[in-house]
Parts: sequence; C-alpha cells; structure tokens
Amino acid sequence: MASRLTGNRHVLGWIQALPLTVVLVGFLIAPIAMIVAVSFWGATEFSIYPAFQFDNYEFLFSSPVTYRVFGATLKYALITWALTLVIGFTVAYFLAFHVRSLTMQIALFLICTIPFWTSNIIRMISWIPFLGRNGIANQTLISWGVIDEPLEWLLYSDFSVILAFVHLYTLFMVVPIFNTMMRIDKSLLEAARDNGASGFQTLVHVIIPLTKPGIMIGTIFVVTLVMGDFITVRFMSGSQRANVGRLISNDIGLLQYPSAAATAVVLLCTVLIVIATLLRFVNIRKEL
Amino acid sequence: MSKLAKPKVGYSRRSLLKASGAALAASALPAPMLWAQDTKDIVLRQFGTGVSNLNDVANKVKEDLGFTLEMTALDSDSVTQRAATQPDSFDIADIEYWICKKVWPTGNLQAMDTSRIANYDKIVGIFRDGKLTPESTIAQGTAPHTVGFVDGPGGTSFATGETGWMTLIPTIYNADTLGIRPDLIDRPIESWTELLNPEFRGKASILDISSIGIMDMAMVCEAMGEIQYGDKGNMTREEIDKTMAIFTEAKRAGQFRAFWKTFDESVNLMASGEVVIQSMWSPAITAVKSRGIPCVYQPLKEGYRSWGGGIGLSSSLSGMELDAAYDYINWYLSGWVGGYLMRQGYYSAVPETSKNFMSENEWGYWFEGKEATDVITSPTGDTLAQAGEVRDGGSFFDRMGSVACWNAVMDENQYMVRKWNEFIAA
Amino acid sequence: MERRPRSFYILAAFFALFVLFLYGPILTIGILSFQGPQGGLTFPMNGVSLHWFRDLFQEQAVGDIWGAFRRSFALGLMVMVTTVVVSVMAGLAFRKRFFGSGFVFYAAITSLVIPSILISLGVGLIFNQFGWRIHWATSGFGSQLTWTLPFGLLIMFAVFNRFDKSYEEAARDQGATAWQTLRFVVLPIIAPSLIGVALFGFTLSYDEFARTLLTAGSYNTLPLEIFGMTTNVTTPVIYALGTLTTLFSFSIIGVFLLAVWVMGKRRANKGSDPGKAV
Repeated sequence: MASRLTGNRHVLGWIQALPLTVVLVGFLIAPIAMIVAVSFWGATEFSIYPAFQFDNYEFLFSSPVTYRVFGATLKYALITWALTLVIGFTVAYFLAFHVRSLTMQIALFLICTIPFWTSNIIRMISWIPFLGRNGIANQTLISWGVIDEPLEWLLYSDFSVILAFVHLYTLFMVVPIFNTMMRIDKSLLEAARDNGASGFQTLVHVIIPLTKPGIMIGTIFVVTLVMGDFITVRFMSGSQRANVGRLISNDIGLLQYPSAAATAVVLLCTVLIVIATLLRFVNIRKEL
Repeated sequence: MSKLAKPKVGYSRRSLLKASGAALAASALPAPMLWAQDTKDIVLRQFGTGVSNLNDVANKVKEDLGFTLEMTALDSDSVTQRAATQPDSFDIADIEYWICKKVWPTGNLQAMDTSRIANYDKIVGIFRDGKLTPESTIAQGTAPHTVGFVDGPGGTSFATGETGWMTLIPTIYNADTLGIRPDLIDRPIESWTELLNPEFRGKASILDISSIGIMDMAMVCEAMGEIQYGDKGNMTREEIDKTMAIFTEAKRAGQFRAFWKTFDESVNLMASGEVVIQSMWSPAITAVKSRGIPCVYQPLKEGYRSWGGGIGLSSSLSGMELDAAYDYINWYLSGWVGGYLMRQGYYSAVPETSKNFMSENEWGYWFEGKEATDVITSPTGDTLAQAGEVRDGGSFFDRMGSVACWNAVMDENQYMVRKWNEFIAA
Repeated sequence: MERRPRSFYILAAFFALFVLFLYGPILTIGILSFQGPQGGLTFPMNGVSLHWFRDLFQEQAVGDIWGAFRRSFALGLMVMVTTVVVSVMAGLAFRKRFFGSGFVFYAAITSLVIPSILISLGVGLIFNQFGWRIHWATSGFGSQLTWTLPFGLLIMFAVFNRFDKSYEEAARDQGATAWQTLRFVVLPIIAPSLIGVALFGFTLSYDEFARTLLTAGSYNTLPLEIFGMTTNVTTPVIYALGTLTTLFSFSIIGVFLLAVWVMGKRRANKGSDPGKAV
C-alpha cells in the first residue's frame, strides 16, 4: 500500500510540492482574494465595511491622475528595463566569456552582491549627499570647471529615481543572463569564428539569440520590481513624483484600504498581462 | 485592587513633589517595595513616532516605576495604521490629536478617568476648555479639547466639555511655523506667503502628511488673500479644490525641491541647503542648529499652526497593567519627561511640574522667552544657544497665544485625502 | 596563455565602472560614517572620528537597532532554512510532472511578480479581519516566503536542468532505494547550489521592506526600524551600521572563497572519489 502510494508520481509529487503549495495558498492566493474582495468594500474615516460597490473603481478610472500615474509607472519600467538590459548584458558577457576561472567568476559575482546586504533605505539616503545641490557630484563637476552652477536635476527628479532603480535592480538582470550564457556551448562560438564571423557577428547571430531566455527572465524581474516599487520613488523624488505603488501606499497610510485594494487589483492585472506576454517568448522551466 | 492603588500613587507623588526639590524628588520617587515587586514583571508596549518615543524615557520609567516600557518608533502613516487596525500590538498609543479623531471611533482606545490623574488640574487650558488664558479665542481646526473628552468610559462620540473621561492625556505640543536659513535668505521673512514666493523657486518644501500639509497650505493661501476660508479647519470641497489648484500650479512651476515626510528628511533638506524655506518642526530646527548651521524658526504675522500629541490606552488594558499605565501617565505629567521634551523645544502639558526639572536658565529661555544667561544645551548635550540668545517667537504665551489653526481632520477628509494624493502625483 | 583581445580591456573597464557605481553609495556611507560627533547625514564632514561606531553599540535616542537586528537575523535564518528545504522538495516534485504542476508553477510565478506591497496589504487585511495577531515570525515570515520561495524554485529548475540523470540511474541499478538515491547521490551533487539558494534566501529576507511593512506587528525588523528611526534625528549611526555590514559581508565572502580554495586544493591532492558517497 505504502509503496504503491509513494510509487505514484502524482501523489509523491504533490507530497513534495505540498509545503510550497501551502505557503502560496496561504500567503499569496488568499491575500489576493482578500484584496479583490476588499476592493468592492466601503471605507469610513477609520474602518472598512463589507459591501459590494464599484465606487472605488469608479473614482479610480474617473481621475486623470490615475492614467498619468500608470503612465509614469510604465515609463519608469521601460527606461529602467532598457538601461539594466544594456548594462546587465555587458557585465554578464564580460563575466561569462572573458573571465576564465570559475573561482574568479564567483568572486567577481559576489563582489557585486555585497552592497545588497546594506539596507536599501540606508543606501538610498546616502545618494542624497552624493547627488545633492552641494553634494560630491556637483562639487566635483564645479571644481573641474565643467559646470558653473550646481545641477538641480541630479536629485529629486526622474533622473535620480531611475538612477536608483538601475542601481538596485541591474543585478537581477545580470544573474539570469549570466546563467544562460554559461550554458552556451563554447564550441558554437569557435565554430562561428572558424567560419569567419567577426566578434560582432558572433554576438548578434549566436550569443544574443541563445541568451534570449536569460534576457526574458531578467526582464520579468526588473519590470515587476520597478512596477511594484513605492519606496524608491518616494525617497529619490523627494515625494515629488508618483507611481502606482505610491498611490497604494498613500491610501494605506490614510486607512483607505478599499481604495488601495482597487488600485492594487488594477496594478496586479497590468503586471500579470505584461508578464504573460513576456512568458509567451520563453519557457522558464526549460530554459533556466 | 485598582481602587486601592489609585490614591496611593497619586497621593505620594503629589506630596513628595510639593515637599521636596526637583533633585530630591527624582531620587525619592521610586515606589514602595511591595508595589515594585508586583510591577517589575509588567511590560507595556508603546508606539509612536520618534518625536517622543525616546529610549531615555523608557529607561527612566524602569528606574522610577519599576516596570518595562517597550518603545517602537514608526513613521506617521504607520502610527495611524497601527492605532486603527492593530489594537493587539500595543498597550499605549502615542498619537496626535487629529489621529485620535480618526482612531477613536474604532473602539481601540479606552477613555481615562481624570480623577485618577494627579496633575489633571494643572494641565494647560488648551487641552481642557480649549483656552490658553480665559480671554483667548479658540483657533480653527481640530483643537485638542474638541476630541479630548467623551461622555463616559464607553463613550464613542466626543463630548463638548470636560466630562472626567479623557481620550488622550496630553503630553507634548507646539506651535509650528516656517523654518528658514537666514544665511541664505538675507532679508526678513514675515508672512506665510513667502513659501510660494518665486524667489525661492526650487528651494522650498512642505510636508507630505495631508492633515498637516493642508493646514500649511491654507495658511499660505489665506495670507496671499487668494482664498477667504469659512473655517480653515473644516473646508468645503470648493475650498479644498482652490487650495490644491494654487499649490499644484506652484508645484508644476518647480517651486518645491521636495516634500518631506519624516522629521529626518526635513533636517537633511535644510542642513544640506537643498531648501531654504520650508514647514518644519521645532526640534528639527534645533537639530540643524546643533550642526553649526544657522536656522531660524521664523514667527510669522498670520500666526502659528499648532499640534498636540498625547498618550491613549489600548482598550484591552485591564487590571494591574491598567494601573501601571495610570502610574505611567501620572509619572509622565509629574515633570521629568516634560522637562526633557521642553529642552528640545516642545511644550509640556503641565509646565509647572516640568519647571522643577529645568534650570532657571533653561526655563527662562524655553518657556519665558528670556535671554539665555548661559549656554543652552539639548538633553543629549549638544549646544543649542549661547548666552544672550532668545528663543524664536518668544515666550510660551506669545507663541501658543498666536495659534491660528490646529492640524485638522475635516468633514470632507476623504475628499481632501484623494485631492492630496492627486497633488502629490501631479 | 592566450593574449587578451582588446575587447577584454574595454569590457573590464566597463565592469570596473559598474562595480564603482554599485559601490558609490557604499563609499559615501563609508566616508560619512567617520563623521565627527557633531556631524550629520550629509556633507560637509564635521571632523573625523570613530564616534558613531562607538555610538552604534550604545543605546540610541530612538529605537532598538540591536533588537531589530536580532529579529531580522533570526527571521533571515528561518526564511533561509525554510526556503532551502521547501524549494528542494518542490524542485524534486516538478521533475515528476505531477498532475496540477502547471497550477503550482504559475502560482509561484505570480508570487514572484506580484508587487510586494500587495502581499503586505493582503496578509495584513486577512489577519486584521480574522482578528489574528500579526507578528514578524508568523505573518511576516509567511509574507517573506512568497518572495524567497519562487526564487529558490527557479534556482532549483536551473540546477535540475543541468542534472545528469545517469547518476541516479546508476544508483538505482545498484539497488539503492529512492530515499538512498536522494540522500547519497542527488543531494551531495546539488549541495553547492543550495548554498546559493540559502544565500539568496537570507539576503532577500534580511533586506525586505515592503512585505514586512504591514505584517511585522509590535516589533520591527531592521529595515523597518531604520525607517522608523528617520522620524527623529537620524545620526550617522546608520552609516556606521552600513559600513560594518559591508565589512562583515566582505569577511564572510572571504572565508567562503578561502574554503572553496582549500577544498579545491585538498581535492586535487587526494584525487576525486565519487564512489565514496554511495
């Protein structure tokens, strides 16, 4: 009996997947269900009450600010994606094809991860003395004579927000791209070279197509991280810009949970649609 | 148990304080042995913003009262959230009066019996009948006394007079105005209108906490003569729209360098020279000054925007812990904390007890608005003022007497909040 | 050895710039943590001292850094161990292509891409509506797992995709039970990758902010504590903390590399002995 039970791959599979499933049901699916339910509820100044009304969505879709904020969120995601892709690809390419020993690769890789052990908030606060009006960057540029007046747009602007995003998330692009690059059979590159392909041609016709899955996975990370962020935008723009995450967190702060939930539902749908589209181009389970 | 405890604690403290000097009181205060044995295992969890959730206070409580006070410092959004939605996570809530207006109806806090509060009679009038002196007029907005009392122990709506049941025991309060960098603005600043003066384009800031920010905005718009409010503390939708429109336009024109949300951000904005004029809190000015950077808490002709904080008790508190909480409150008002906070630039709810814990020089400088006769230092030892300097805005009665409005939660609060969100996103 | 092409130097320079960029804030933190006693969070420096490092080990005006650090560290370890165990199990499960695996897989992907604040909000709402008490070790722990588990799972996919099945078959042919195969063949082979999963799990948990924001309860984790500390005067103490964290991570990685190097040496001396495992 026991052996028949454990022998059945479906049963054994479920037993092994059970812990994961329990966590996901309890802390992912239930919360999502709760958010969807609450998005139809009503709120008073201090509490929320069960109801079934579309007020929250109505307000959301009738406000021009919503569209502007969603636009800004997508803009941040797109620009950050493009930058992290270029930087991440280059870094991964260097690590995978130019660094020869595995130990060196691991060492360089770990060096890139060390800054992540220092709290995000501390790292963000520390950009301010660097980019500020009297910060290092401006003082250096002025002392070099490049500029006369401090550059105002270095801090509390879209520039600083995107800079922080790139800073925080490039590594999420490097890891999967590096991973797929390591799987590329080196003999393919030799074959390309033997057939007279230039380095550039090899890159475009061999490496990039083969790295696509890694790029896609990195893209998924970066896009979702940026779209869901709220704290970076708040800190780096000095609360001057908004993305959807901030809209939600503002509502939460003001105890407007139903309104926050409605925005959250729309954000979740947007993210899932973007990701579903991306997943059409890559089979994550096979390509990792 | 509780009936026994009440007179014992209240009595001993009051007589002791009267009998002995401040220093003596501090050392003689530890409660009787029997009492200490019971209370030493009690742990009370308090939360609030970093403004008053100071470890020094918790340590002094341990020393004087014997029980443990655990302090959790949060940002102001989380404070509201926790008070409203997580009644199990705290015993004592250290919140502002306008937050109380939002949170009280949830039933997470219990009303306090003023007869158990030894120094109740000495609490300044602002928190009781709303008047600083019998002649004062009451400022607009959510004035503390309007949300300070309920009808009885289970009361859910606010009472209009002193009923003997308090929602929050006032702890600290202050009159806020604009902070400026006199070294970077070399002309006198006299009016709230200067916040939107194009001269300071890209060098101004306000705070991103709607209930407070909207009042700063209102002060500015009114001073500019753009809007005549019926009641700033309770705006109509139309007034909210107009106010936001003026500020949105200024924001689009690049007037603001940033909006700040935490105390610390305001200090850094000012200290690093990112802004030269902004709405600010008094100790933030002190913090900038203690780094040797000139900073003035500029009194303005239209008056101050004021706020008050207090501690409330979780409705789940009972028995010995409730007694301990009352002890804590009595201790809080007995002067040591008041003195500590006043030396940071806040005001204590019972100034006369705080006086015992301040030097004559400190009392003169912070409360009476006199010239400092010696160096003024903060509780942590930083130099804040030299002999001969005078506090910005003058004495307690000068400052608290010219309060134009209180931080407010309006009838149209939900509408205002949405508009505020739009303003930030604009 | 083959001569390096010119592209190597260009790319190496690019990489160096990237590392510099990553470490820019860390450098600022490093410099500013040596502020004089009167110094603030921003330039200019107000003297040079070790004041803030000493101060870090004393009580702060607000908050409880070390209490929060202990909680974060404990939570990080809990998340780390759970992540390793659960993702290995799930990784094994997915190799079996069991019925319904597609559903679990897409749930995991959703868990990966869902904005963190939504988890925080949802879990907070559930606990609130059911009257449960939120605590960093329950609600906070679960919320963080929704972030680390999909990560662990993806790494397991990568590991098992590279896994040579013939080892298992060989073990089975020699009469090993499924458990023995797992215990003595599969686990030792994938062990190095598990270090990666563990490191990821710990790092992601230790630095997690949004998911614990509404789910931590009475006591703050370190990121929340630091955020809370900014409601009063924040001193360069948090920079001192950052500097120490960085030095600490460097030493851990140094030890790790040293271990790899020593093990490599030993293995080279002894010669490999794969048969020993079975």
